[in-house]
This record gives sequence, structure tokens and C-alpha cells, in this order.
Amino acid sequence: MAADGGGGLTQFSGYVDVKAGTVDRIIFSDQAIYEMELERIFARAWNFMCHESQIPNKGDFFLSFIGEESVIATRDKTGALQVFLNTCRHRGNAVCRAESGNARSFLCTYHGWTYGLDGKLIGVPGYKDLYHEELDKDQWGLIPAGKVASYKGFVFATMDPDAPDLPEFLGEVGRMGLDTCAERGELVVIDGVQKNQVGCNWKLAVDNVYDWYHAPLSHASAFMSGYLARESKAEGAEEPDPAQAAKLQAAVAAVQAKGALNHRILLGDYGHAIGGPRVTKENWDMLALLPKGASLHPMMDHRWRDSPEARATLGEAGRDAAGHPNIFPNLWLASGGTQLSLRLPKGPHCTEIWWFTMLTKETAEAERVQQIRQANHVYGPAGMLEQDDGENWDQSTRQTGGVVSRRYPLNFAMGLGRGEPTTPKISGPRYIDSPINEYAQLWTYRAWAEWMDADSWASLKQHRTRTPVDAV
Amino acid sequence: MSDVAAAPAAAGNKPKTGAGPTLELVLRQYEIEQFYYEEANTLDERRYGDWLKLFTEDVFYFMPVRRTKTSKDLDQEFTVPGTVAFFDDDHAMLTARVKKLDTGYAWSEDPPSRTRHLVTNVRILADDGKELLVHSDFHLYRTRLNSEEDNWIGHREDKLRRVDGQLMIAERKIYLEQTVLLARNLSSFF
Repeated sequence: MAADGGGGLTQFSGYVDVKAGTVDRIIFSDQAIYEMELERIFARAWNFMCHESQIPNKGDFFLSFIGEESVIATRDKTGALQVFLNTCRHRGNAVCRAESGNARSFLCTYHGWTYGLDGKLIGVPGYKDLYHEELDKDQWGLIPAGKVASYKGFVFATMDPDAPDLPEFLGEVGRMGLDTCAERGELVVIDGVQKNQVGCNWKLAVDNVYDWYHAPLSHASAFMSGYLARESKAEGAEEPDPAQAAKLQAAVAAVQAKGALNHRILLGDYGHAIGGPRVTKENWDMLALLPKGASLHPMMDHRWRDSPEARATLGEAGRDAAGHPNIFPNLWLASGGTQLSLRLPKGPHCTEIWWFTMLTKETAEAERVQQIRQANHVYGPAGMLEQDDGENWDQSTRQTGGVVSRRYPLNFAMGLGRGEPTTPKISGPRYIDSPINEYAQLWTYRAWAEWMDADSWASLKQHRTRTPVDAV
Repeated sequence: MSDVAAAPAAAGNKPKTGAGPTLELVLRQYEIEQFYYEEANTLDERRYGDWLKLFTEDVFYFMPVRRTKTSKDLDQEFTVPGTVAFFDDDHAMLTARVKKLDTGYAWSEDPPSRTRHLVTNVRILADDGKELLVHSDFHLYRTRLNSEEDNWIGHREDKLRRVDGQLMIAERKIYLEQTVLLARNLSSFF
């Protein structure tokens, strides 16, 4: 399939050189490539809609996006999840304008065509006198998603009826990513989704999910401000005696000293991956020193991973994989599984970033307030970390459009060829233990090219690269 | 939706009788407006340490998330404290934000943005002698690098406290007009 980007390539895989570890800049700024992404990636993939706790009752709805298209996620009168394109079949007007709420039906405010919660066309003004009862209402309902499903409360939809079922699409690694949230307990999304627009290509925001190389410099000012030390302090427990406190401090230092050297990467089907820190023996030693009843920032508190249920679900590979999962194309499971971030495409040079914050139902009130505040302080446009990301991605995107600069590819070669996969003893996906690297980023772009080269789900299933056996 | 609705109506700027404003009310209005003009200037001159001195130790600095809602659900337009918010800060958190800007590594503000804080429509909604509840509208214009522009328009509801003869901000709630923020970040103060 030709891209009209000027490169003259007949295949998108030509833009991603997995041997050299390079990616052509044109894929971040070319309009024709972007439009192909909307068709071959977003209109085909399972897209995250919302969490079931956001629409618990019949008629509850939440507006989301598939690519640039507005979609309504709702529950019909039977309680079943439904997803429709938010467009009237008569003149195309949106039938839902609020971001969320509860509705008995969806009324088009242009001429009054009305749709039930199951998408059926139930009201047409003048049906008898003007349409002479000749309009076949069954043919003119809202355009439904090809498939809708929930995985442990996370609602996804695909517009392509040929897509594999959700668990198969997610594969072992995608499911594990969602399990790292779901295994914490019964989740509830807290009221309020933060939304803002950054002038970057969506893929650069997604690539950053796995990027632990940028944090020490990009976020230096946040670390130096002292806020992290304050927020990561163990709270809610009795003050440990000084000797114990010193031990704990030494243990934290031991974890931090080796942080960059101990990462775990999982590369899954269709571009899903997990990349970032591994929970090491030093981590477990540190956690064992925590006073009883102490709560810790969710990014550092891995104790939940040790329950028999979590061990069984996450398996050998997942128990110590504390990095960031991304469900391809654009759902980041962040903050140790307590926040979600969507990166919605709004043109080749604009991405809308959404933040959802989740807590378990069992979270005690005091801890609840603390955890929500912590979440509010880290991410979102005012977040201590995220403040400094947007401009980097914006400037990166700009520099991909230059006629000269785009002759020079971007570099994803960190650690290339050194990542040896380990096969778990009993079962589960292969994983790579390594210092910080760019394997998951390169994996994402490789998958991107495969999605873009495939003209159907059948072709994508056949030609996709499986989790590597050999060094990456 | 906000504190304005809950404010005692009689305590505002309007005199209780049909007579014109008293000199006392005019002076109070002048005092509050000058306080805001000085604050705006402090921010636009990037004297963040001085700005921090305007807040009481127990300050709550809050900017909720706003949502597009139908008119029947307008009471849910803004998130409330204890849920998701853009700013949800106590004094220590505000101090950390100021420290962040002073590190020399705060890339989102280096090169620094050029800002202009316009404060207007100042209305004193309540005054019990110790604390005042004040509504003000703002337009924060930010430009940075060569051609970046952001405009934030909204209103603030402040609790201003008299401490040793000085006005201090004991609470600030910031309500923006935008639902999806059309800006890469919120690295400015409001």
C-alpha cells in the first residue's frame, strides 16, 4: 500500500528499520499516513471506551472516541453495554452532546429522530404523514460498534466485526497489563476525567509510555522540588523507631541505586507491551521493612502482587513486571495501575490526552483522599511530571515535518540486539530482563507498520510478528 | 456549583439602604482590587517566592475539572474537592511548585513564558471582619517560544483573610471556561 508521503515506499514496514533501530520521521507528520492510521488502526482495533463503574445504571452514558469519531458508550434497558457512533442517520447531527449523564433515549436536536438505548430508531416526527410509514426503521438505527466487550470492567469496542474477540486481541501481555489494575480489587473510577490537547503526534505520546530514559532529565525539576519525597512517605502507620527508619532509608536507596539497570519488558500480540522497572529482591526487602499498616505511593507499593490470587493471575513474568503497559494503540495503564491515560488522535499534529483515576472500592477514606490528591499532583496538564512532557513532544513533532530533517530517521537503538528473552518455567509470556532500553518502543512501531500494511484483520493475523524468541 | 451561591447576599458591596455606597465600602473595594493588581504583577514579573507569601499556611488552592453537561445536570458541571482536579494543593504543594520553577530544570517554563494576568469584575460577596469571600474574573494570556499562545479565561473565588493587618489568600478556587483544556500544560499560576 503506497503512502503519499513522498518517501515513495510501497510498504509501511519500510519506515521502521528494526535491525538498525530507526523510525522514519515522516510517520509523525504526514497527513496521508495519518488518515490511513484512522482507517487501518483506529477503525480496526479494540479501543478503550470507559470503565464499567462510570456507567453502572441503565441509560448511563459516557462519550468517547474511536479515532476522531465521537462514540456513545451506554447501557441499554437490559443492562447490556452498547457502543454507537454519535451521529444521526438522517443528516448526521450528533445525538448526544454531554460528556456523560443518564438518558432514556438519544434525541437528534435537528429534526427529532430518536433512538433507543439499544440504538434502534424509535421516533421519527411525521412518520405517518410525511414518510407515509414507508421508512424501514429497523434499517436506520444508530451505527453500532462491530463488537463491544468488557475485560474485568474495562469496556472496549471495535468498529470492525472481523476483529478477534477482546481476550484474543489483548493476548497474554495485554491481559496482563489490565490485570495489573484489576488485581488490586474492585475498581471505581473517581469523578472527573482530565482532558487537554498537546500539539504532538499521538505516537510520540504513546512511545513515551515505555520511556524511562527521559525521566531523570525531563522531570528533574519535579524530583528536585521535594514533592515526591513528601508524597512517597509511608503514612498511616506508627512512627518506626530510628534504627528501623534508617534501615528503611538504606533499603530505599538500594532500590534507587539500581533502578535503571533492572527493567523487565514484555512484547505482546498486535503491539501491546509492558516496559519499565522490575520489582527486584531489593524492592521486596524494602517493602518488608515497611511498618505494618503503612500505605505507600501506588507506584512503589508492590505488596498486592504477592497475594496468592495476584501470583496466580500475573504468573512468573508478571509478578515482577512493574513497568508501564500500553494496550495498542493508545491506552496507557499508569501510576501502578491506578490511572489510565488515553492518547486520542486529533490530526497528525494534535493529541488529546485523557486521564482517568481509579481506586479500589475497599480503599479506606483517609487513604482515598491521599491517593486522589497524589494522582492529581503527578499527571494531567498541571501534574508535576506531566507539565514538562508536552513541549518536548510538541517540538519533536514539529521537527519531523522539515523537508531536510525528515531525511534523517529517529533513533531507537538503545540496547539493540542485547535483549535476550526468558521463557517462564511453567507458563506465561516470554520476558526480557535488561537495563533501560527501547525494545517496547521499537516493538510498537514495528506493530504499527504491520497494522498499516495489512488490508484486513485476516491479513494482520497472518503477518503479525509474534513475541520474539531471539534477542531483540 | 460554587461558593457564590452559598454566600450571604447582604454582605456584598451594595449598601443596605437605598443610599449610595459609603466611603468605607469604596475604600474596601479599592484595597481588594489593589491587592489583586499587585498579585497579578508579582506573577507577571515571575516573583514566585513573593507570590507564595500571599498565602496562609492552611491555604487550599483548587482548580476543578469542568464537564460539558446538559442543563438538567449543571450541578455536576465541576468536580468537587476530594475527586479529580487540576490543582488540589495545600501550602506545601504550592511551595513545591514554586521550588520546581526555581530549579533551573523546569523545561516547560524555560525559556520562561511571558504572561499577563488581567483581573476584573471584583465583587466582595461576604465580609465578617476577619475573612472576605471575593469573586473575580481573570484573563491569563501566555505566550512562549516564538509563536505559542494560550488564553485562559475564568473566575476565581477567594477567601481573603486579614492577618496582622495584611490581606492573605486562605482559599482559592479557580473555575476555567474550557472543558477540554486547549493547552499543553498548566505551568502558570492563576
